[in-house]
Amino acid sequence: MSDRRVVITGMGTVNPLGHGVEDMWEAMLACRSGLCKTDLFDASTYPTTFSAQVKDYNLADQVPNAARHAHAGRHATFALGAAAQAWKQAELAACDAIDPAKLGIYLGSGEGSLDFERFTSLLVDTWADGKIDTRRWAELAFQRMDLSHEVEQESNMVLAHLAAEFGARGPAFNVLTACAASTQAMGEATMQIRHGDVDVMITGGAHSMIHPFGMTGFNRLTALSTRNDEIATASRPFDLTRDGFVLGEGASILIFEDYEFARARGAKVLAEIIGYGSSADAFRITDQDPEGDGAATAMRAALADAKLTPADIDYISAHGTGTKQNDQVETRAVKAVFGERAYKVPVSSVKSMVGHLIAAAGATELITCVLAIRDQVLPPTTNQTTPDPDCDLDYVPNAPRQAEVATVMSNSFGFGGQNNTLIIKKAD
Amino acid sequence: MPRRVAVTGVGVVSPTGIGVEAFWEALMTARRGIGEIIAFDAHKFPCRIGAELADFSARGYVPKSYRKSVKVMARDIEIAVAAADLAFRDAGIVTRGIEEGKENVEAKRLGCNIGAGLICVDLDELGAAVNTALTDGRFDIRKWGSGGMSNLTPLWLLKYLPNMLSCHVTIIHGAEGPSNTITCCDASAHMAVGEATRMIARDAADVIVAGGAESKLNPMGLLRQGLLGRLCTEGNDRPADACRPFDAAHSGTVIGEGGGLLVLEDYDRAKQRGARIYAELIGFGAACDPAGMDITTATAGGLDLAAAKAIADAGIAPEQVDLIVAHGTAVPAEDQRECAAWQAALGSDATSKPAVSITGGTGSLYAGAGGAELATAALALHHQVIPPTVNFTAREDRCGLGMSDQPREHEINYVITGAFSIGGQSAACVLKRAEA
Repeated sequence: MSDRRVVITGMGTVNPLGHGVEDMWEAMLACRSGLCKTDLFDASTYPTTFSAQVKDYNLADQVPNAARHAHAGRHATFALGAAAQAWKQAELAACDAIDPAKLGIYLGSGEGSLDFERFTSLLVDTWADGKIDTRRWAELAFQRMDLSHEVEQESNMVLAHLAAEFGARGPAFNVLTACAASTQAMGEATMQIRHGDVDVMITGGAHSMIHPFGMTGFNRLTALSTRNDEIATASRPFDLTRDGFVLGEGASILIFEDYEFARARGAKVLAEIIGYGSSADAFRITDQDPEGDGAATAMRAALADAKLTPADIDYISAHGTGTKQNDQVETRAVKAVFGERAYKVPVSSVKSMVGHLIAAAGATELITCVLAIRDQVLPPTTNQTTPDPDCDLDYVPNAPRQAEVATVMSNSFGFGGQNNTLIIKKAD
Repeated sequence: MPRRVAVTGVGVVSPTGIGVEAFWEALMTARRGIGEIIAFDAHKFPCRIGAELADFSARGYVPKSYRKSVKVMARDIEIAVAAADLAFRDAGIVTRGIEEGKENVEAKRLGCNIGAGLICVDLDELGAAVNTALTDGRFDIRKWGSGGMSNLTPLWLLKYLPNMLSCHVTIIHGAEGPSNTITCCDASAHMAVGEATRMIARDAADVIVAGGAESKLNPMGLLRQGLLGRLCTEGNDRPADACRPFDAAHSGTVIGEGGGLLVLEDYDRAKQRGARIYAELIGFGAACDPAGMDITTATAGGLDLAAAKAIADAGIAPEQVDLIVAHGTAVPAEDQRECAAWQAALGSDATSKPAVSITGGTGSLYAGAGGAELATAALALHHQVIPPTVNFTAREDRCGLGMSDQPREHEINYVITGAFSIGGQSAACVLKRAEA
């Protein structure tokens, strides 16, 4: 087994703050909010009437032949756009050295959206005596439902679109560890490159749960902010007034490659991935371990993998969802790992601006980590008005900050207790 | 040096048998688990047969204190939870879920990697809520938002998240190490086991429970697979004969439900504790086929490349492979593609090599399939016997693999097993006979 170094050579994103990396970054450094009233469907009577939607997106602006992806689900179109941007930045189209068998894809993509209108019409039209009449349901379903829409809901279909678009024949994995999915995908993609399975990995995540049953699920869990009258400032990670996360959607894709392969083809290296850790809370499906032990385990594992100590970390990109519990537990976990240094390391959550992209959150956040290193500036946690005594770290409140940043940790914690941490550093 | 990885436990929940002994006996006696669907009235579906887990519940496989949590488990989750309990017990790994206070594995060194599918909501449960939000007989989303949705249990979403297979297992057993959920349909379990093997090899964990579980045996599953044209519609009157992988009369697959989890363990650790080692996991490969985006065209998801990589990773020559545990969906075009893939990876030899597929008895287990296939591979190595292929009577011309409807005694040193997904992904694992 070789132990190859892994570097980032391309990045792309489609999210509520923009349809490209620079648009997103400019918005974040200007502390803009990507939140708005939900208009993908009529959510006017839901407990939460707003979300962080991708706006005015057209796949044809992103890829040369959008028609071949006509059946793609909403999140798959985001992934295609983000991947096309990353591919272009990495200048892989011009690379003859790449062997399709050594080009892999490792994503944390969500399930596609239900065919809501038709699906609910079936539930209504076949309801009899307190249950679904499955005879009637079968007759109507085969008439009404659409093959592509049904199959595109399988979360592996995003891989299929990217493989077709970029001609990949290497390993193609999708993981769905809830909010930690794309961080986990990038971590495992790193391991596959280190192991020598592939030279190049298209990695990241895509998700949209802004549909009637997705919002229903999170509203029933009372996980979402209900600050319907203050939409722009509703996402308040670490602030005492936080009341839940804000559901977002989008995709972020990065190109990871073997350092030697990148060097040989003269690629510009944006950053290096040096540490990855994965753990489970093993606590409860509904709650995080209040001590943050699982989160701390992932951070420690990533530090050990990177052969670093907490003193080496210049900035932490937080999971920072804005739920009461997550932000308190995450703060506790950072303190457990970093000790006294916890108060000296800036920690910020860009979810305050872009919302929570669920499976795509970690990849979006890792892009901001690379940009923080590039520009030597930390993105802020916006909407900080009232400090929470339980959340007493430096969250880079309300304004970006110039800082010396060489090594960055990014955390993602999934609903159900799967935790993942990545560490990247400035390119040599 | 990467560490070696042993298979020390097998947990299978399949329509032909639950638990390693029952599963193996079912394999050896060619038990057929497919019948008319009884879980719901499927008479108006073009395919109304399936391989059901009759009278199955996870309640008997969880600690007493966890029984009420079974209520928030979709069927897929229950299967995984039961398979994990069976696998740990079979391996002699004592977790807090097996016997608290007697654990023989460190929590932070115990991992979990379980492949899962797109879990289908319970239509009756959702229908009951949806039908409280009607205006003039049609669904009214405003009524839904203002009240209808509150008829769903607050934890409704958590029944259906695919990572809940892994999460319940980690919670029950106190597995605090690396934890993943791979969602690549049929290839998921091979990927999960391959990835878990690498985790142990690189010292990120000592023991990992890995594999997959799924149930598509519900109206949405029958609809989706039916729309894809993958289901056998000619076998409704003779269900046990309907699913015929690689047979001349194959005519589509039949949906089953179940899965399998392996306990993978650092080889030296297993030796030291005197564990029974079924097999050693020595090779892994994965690939994809860009043609998989077109879901109406059958592919084997690049299985030829995945298998070749797994063989190279194992450090053996293709001719050293003694047995192929094939995927065998029994969809004619897929069987043909699969055979071509094995031939490409193993050479012309592939035709005469012994091979087996379990799908004829268990039906298609989707994300769970690979778990049962890997279990079959490990057990064949352990027993040095090749189980029969259910419903294989005459070889299809374009499906040249060495299936037999009889059990065969055979010296087996290396087994390859692989699977592929609609959408175009594949993965393969190579297992080696345990040293005496």
